Amino acid sequence: MPNDFSFEMLTNYLLVGATLMALGMLGFLSRRNLIVMFLSAEMMLQGVALTLVGFGRYHGNWTGQVFTIVILTVAACEASIALALILILFNRRSSLDVSLWQEIREPGQPAIVEPESQAEPELAVAGPESYPHLLTAGIEPPHPTGAWSNRRD
Amino acid sequence: MDALVRNAWLVPFLPLLGGLIAAVGGKWFKQQSHLPVVLGIGLAFCVSLVLVASVGQTKVAPVPIEWLTISGLVVPIQFQADGLTTMMLAMVTFVATLVAIYASGYMAGDPGYPRFFAVVGLFVFSMTGLVLSANYLLTYLFWEGVGVCSYLLVGFWHSKPEAAAAAKKAFLVNRVGDVGFAIAIFWMWVTSPTHDLSYASFLGEGNLEHLKVAAPAALIGIPLLLFWAATAKSAQVPLYVWLPDAMEGPTPVSALIHAATMVTAGVYLVARSTPLMVMAPGVQLTVSAIGCITALLAASIALTQTDLKRVMAYSTVSQLGYMFMALGAGVKGVTEFAVIAGMFHLFTHAFFKALLFLSSGSVMHAMGGVIDMREFSGLRHRLPVTHWTFATGALALCGVPIFAGFWSKDEVLSSLMLAGKTANASEGSGWGWAYYLIYGVAILTAFMTAFYTGRAYFMTFWGPERLPDPTSAATHHGSTEPEAVHHSGGDAHGHSADHGHGHDSHFGHESPPSMTIPLRILAVCALLVGLIFGPSHLFEHHLKQTAQLEPTATEHAIEHSPDYVTMVGGTLAALLGIGLSYSLYFRPSPVPGRLAGQFRPLYLGSLHKFYVDEFYTWLLVRPTQVLGLTANFLDKYLVDGLVQGISWIPRLVGRHLLGPIQNGLIQYYAAVTALSVGALLLALFLLV
Repeated sequence: MPNDFSFEMLTNYLLVGATLMALGMLGFLSRRNLIVMFLSAEMMLQGVALTLVGFGRYHGNWTGQVFTIVILTVAACEASIALALILILFNRRSSLDVSLWQEIREPGQPAIVEPESQAEPELAVAGPESYPHLLTAGIEPPHPTGAWSNRRD
Repeated sequence: MDALVRNAWLVPFLPLLGGLIAAVGGKWFKQQSHLPVVLGIGLAFCVSLVLVASVGQTKVAPVPIEWLTISGLVVPIQFQADGLTTMMLAMVTFVATLVAIYASGYMAGDPGYPRFFAVVGLFVFSMTGLVLSANYLLTYLFWEGVGVCSYLLVGFWHSKPEAAAAAKKAFLVNRVGDVGFAIAIFWMWVTSPTHDLSYASFLGEGNLEHLKVAAPAALIGIPLLLFWAATAKSAQVPLYVWLPDAMEGPTPVSALIHAATMVTAGVYLVARSTPLMVMAPGVQLTVSAIGCITALLAASIALTQTDLKRVMAYSTVSQLGYMFMALGAGVKGVTEFAVIAGMFHLFTHAFFKALLFLSSGSVMHAMGGVIDMREFSGLRHRLPVTHWTFATGALALCGVPIFAGFWSKDEVLSSLMLAGKTANASEGSGWGWAYYLIYGVAILTAFMTAFYTGRAYFMTFWGPERLPDPTSAATHHGSTEPEAVHHSGGDAHGHSADHGHGHDSHFGHESPPSMTIPLRILAVCALLVGLIFGPSHLFEHHLKQTAQLEPTATEHAIEHSPDYVTMVGGTLAALLGIGLSYSLYFRPSPVPGRLAGQFRPLYLGSLHKFYVDEFYTWLLVRPTQVLGLTANFLDKYLVDGLVQGISWIPRLVGRHLLGPIQNGLIQYYAAVTALSVGALLLALFLLV
């Protein structure tokens, strides 16, 4: 093994990787926003990747980095699937709150997390009426009749 | 001769085949289903005649098929064709053929026609197998077979509750007897050194001598248990109660099963076990005594019955008592004479009783299902053939000279007299007085027999001509008996729904030829069969070609001079009975009513069958019902409760204990997964 990468240096990498992993797990388990949950899951993967690279450097072969590329590939596929699923779930309930989906269980159980409580308050997003009016040459653009969020029900 | 005997299996097999064809092909044969069965039984009769002619050379057919081979018990399916067997075969198949032909007319139009003939075929198979089998266990098999067929045939009209109850009663009472038979077989197996249950082996000299030394209790117990089985099958006290109720079945069934064949199976069994019976004179006396009690009891009940078939049923019970009286008189010195006398009475009884039942059925057929004698009278002009055939059968039953019953009843009575003399002789048992007493009671019963038979005959065929109203509820439903206290099928209304089909065309007219031809044939037999086979000793010689009935060295050479005293006594009793019934019933008269009023307790007792059925209900049926209810309660609440309690556990565990683990939150699932991985790693770390 190369002698310029000592065990103490490896431990630093492992610690950072473990920190990333732990923070990712914490975020996954405690956040209610679907996208933030996915973000945390990705962060867990990155922690693992860092650990692998560190070990690879430590042992002096390419195994770690090769497997990291495999992980990145898998993460990419997983991202596409996960985001597709999140999109579909959002279309159903118009919200990214995961606690809306806790009905998929034995009927008759009490709700674990009240969807309405503790949720982040829904901030009104400014609609097209707040966009700047850009006059085209000579033609006045048509004014929208309702907020843009009403387009999808 | 060997070849002929080797084909003895045809006799049971042909009716079975006929019955199976009728059963399977009933849908296509429909009202012609009698053809295969009549053909099968008729052919079996021809084969039996051949067997009768060829008996003598070979006694046991060498056709053993191994049925049971358990260590220590080898039971082959083995048939034998000796004198006793071939006589029974010929009689059974002859009567069965005639009854089957009669039934094709009687049961015409019945929707269950194929089923009837299928079971009749099965029955003849069982009965002929019973008499053909060469060992006790095979006999037991066929014994059960005839019981089952009797159940199926008595309960033929199973939608009628009385018929279903009667069939159940017949089967259950027979079962009580079968228990005795089974225990006797077990005992036989235990005590015989060769564990061979065949007749030749068990009833041979050597085995019986061995038993006398090794197991003397068996020598009393086994014949007693065999007689107990015969008590149930042949309707003796105390197990006769099923036979009168079995009149709920169609009349051909009564004629075949409850007159000529099934009820004779018990007599056959006791006769077959003669060597065993001889070793236990106490049991023989018991047999004779019970036969005597039965004959007297049944005759006294028959005196007052108004249902013609019930009179005949009690008459059958009474005559079976006669047969057992003779069998029980087979003490050492008189054995084969007495046993052959009993079997001769069985033989002649089959003919005249079947005849009486069939002509009763003919009367019933013409009266539109009514069989209560109070509803009709004076039928001698309307039903001429039925009239003279019934008269022939009645004369034979009474024991009027020349007719068949005379010769056989005379032999029974003289065997009782001889048994009394032998028992009183120097080396006898000293119980001669008992046999003399039985003899006296038998003469009295002969008088009563003649009386009730004459009463039935005169009430039905003489007096002013009266017919039941063809449109009334009585026809097709029988009449209701006002004093009926019967729990098991009324006395007179038992034959409803018999003829729910197209018999109005026959109302008041003589029966069709399919019914009258068997009547005529049986009438000729009832007249001649005793004369031909009795005094000429043909019957006796034929039956002596049986291993169990051969004269042994210790038999005294009894000088069987014709016993004129008994002949005269029996005839006198018969003529007195007929004369008395003539004076009371030839014309409608108030005298019987007045007599009944004078002896009211006796009359009521006789009318209500001496309350035996009620006694059995109180003693046996009610406790069993209580037991049944208790068992039902325990089953429903205890056993079912236990099972349901056990089935409650998975539901508890699933829904209430482990269900909340699945709460729908993905993060919860992820946390559980992570913790499980951690626990797994910890376990691996600690254990490995």
